[in-house]
Amino acid sequence: MDNVDKALLATPVTAPEPRQWPARFGDELYRFALGRVTDAVAAEELVQETFVSALAALPSFRGQASERTWLFAILKRKIIDHYRRQARSPFVSLASAADEEAPESRFFHARGGHWREEEYPTDWEVGSEEGRGDVLLEQQEFHAILQRCQQRLPPQQLAVFVLRFVEELPAEDICQELRITPSNYWVIVHRAKLQLRRCLEKNWFQDPAAAKAKK
Amino acid sequence: MSNAFFLFNCQQATLLLERRADERLSAPTRVQLWAHLKLCPLCRRYEAQSRLLARQARPAAEAPVPDTLQLPAAARRRLQQLVDAHAGGPGSDNHA
Ligand SMILES: [Zn+2]
Repeated sequence: MDNVDKALLATPVTAPEPRQWPARFGDELYRFALGRVTDAVAAEELVQETFVSALAALPSFRGQASERTWLFAILKRKIIDHYRRQARSPFVSLASAADEEAPESRFFHARGGHWREEEYPTDWEVGSEEGRGDVLLEQQEFHAILQRCQQRLPPQQLAVFVLRFVEELPAEDICQELRITPSNYWVIVHRAKLQLRRCLEKNWFQDPAAAKAKK
Repeated sequence: MSNAFFLFNCQQATLLLERRADERLSAPTRVQLWAHLKLCPLCRRYEAQSRLLARQARPAAEAPVPDTLQLPAAARRRLQQLVDAHAGGPGSDNHA
């Protein structure tokens, strides 16, 4: 039976052991998912979807990667799917940027395109590339606020921002996944950055407590 | 800010900054963007902040989850049932 020969040739050092997955990888996959979607229920679902897909694909697992690497690769795919679903839900219609009021108008004057005075970016003192050797606590708080600000983005902006800057997918891949044109993609990145920088400025850089902690 | 050479406004300049992160801009566009940034401290701030956001997004996604955080017990049970049910099928457990 050449089936057997093939199986022997391809025998991985360790065969996958699905029954061990929850104990060995459950927490780690869950934590990873939680950082990406920040919603506990969605994170659980992502781990479950990962296991379902992995079980279905088990016959094709040849041990070329470790079980752990393989499961994480599947989870990453599930996270992309999650954001794609959200961005493409029928309640979101930003793909045609024209039908909704452009959020840019909140930041820039309609005529002339200059910054509105109340939206002038303030100096965050982060011009230097080095992170100023920030105190760990401060970093943690900054990250927490960034995450909270992210969650306030409309679904499509959130999807684009996460796929580009957290998952670090190339722009072309994101355009394909979300079925948007490159120019729409940049408009959405721009909008997401405008909203995020504003949210951070309000909640971090102008917060008196945070400012005090910086001293 | 009105200057005959000042061809991009702030809205366009900041949009181009995002584009520049993903693709090479044409030479004239690069020059005009450079000129805008030279003259516009607000867009220079935007540029620094936009970079900071890009740099911190991933660490932020990884940071807030403490190592002690575990999969809730109910979810773990569900997952165990899922994999156990599958393991009952053919083709599993046959390695030495
Ligand atoms: Zn400007």
